[in-house]
Amino acid sequence: MANTDQINIIGKGITIRGSMTGGGGLVIEGRVEGQIALKNHLTIESSGIVEADIRADELTINGTASGNIDASTKVSINQSAKVNGDIKATRVVIEDGAVFNGSIEMDVKLPDDI
Amino acid sequence: MANTVIGSSITIDGEISGDEDLVIQGTVKGKISLKESLFVEASASVEADIEVQNVEITGKVTGNIAATDKVELKADCRVVGDVRAPRILIADGASFKGNVDMDVKER
Repeated sequence: MANTDQINIIGKGITIRGSMTGGGGLVIEGRVEGQIALKNHLTIESSGIVEADIRADELTINGTASGNIDASTKVSINQSAKVNGDIKATRVVIEDGAVFNGSIEMDVKLPDDI
Repeated sequence: MANTVIGSSITIDGEISGDEDLVIQGTVKGKISLKESLFVEASASVEADIEVQNVEITGKVTGNIAATDKVELKADCRVVGDVRAPRILIADGASFKGNVDMDVKER
């Protein structure tokens, strides 16, 4: 991600209900319910609670997320994360200690000789 | 400081509530209710009813504004809507259309 990309922060004390769209990186420490569509990186911090369908380029989850996730590159579900929902992404990483319920669809390109 | 910033590239359609300061540089439609201060910066475009403690507007706001403490319309802001607050400041150069209700207790 380019340094010029701005980082948007939704702090701990903030709740958003509705849809969020746009570019730039986004860090959620508070609560978001609804829909998120982002062109860049989304980070859900450990204090963050997201009940939303998420579309983003790349997603890092340290907090709680429920809803369907569609990432164009990578989804990282870290140790402290709790995730409910279906994930569609090219690369999905689930760390030891993470809680995940749902299905994963990786956009795997199988070699031609299989 | 975990300051919440909604950057210029972000659009929110819905409701924002909370108990910490909020800086808007992007687009927000819907409703904003905060127990603290709201800053609508020059690049921001807000179409929302706003209920806050303090609000400082340098950008564009369409909607009714109710503040428990202070509303500050800075130079170059464009505000359309009714404003209700005990303290209202309008800077030279600000554009404003709407009612002002300072809710001052008559002596």
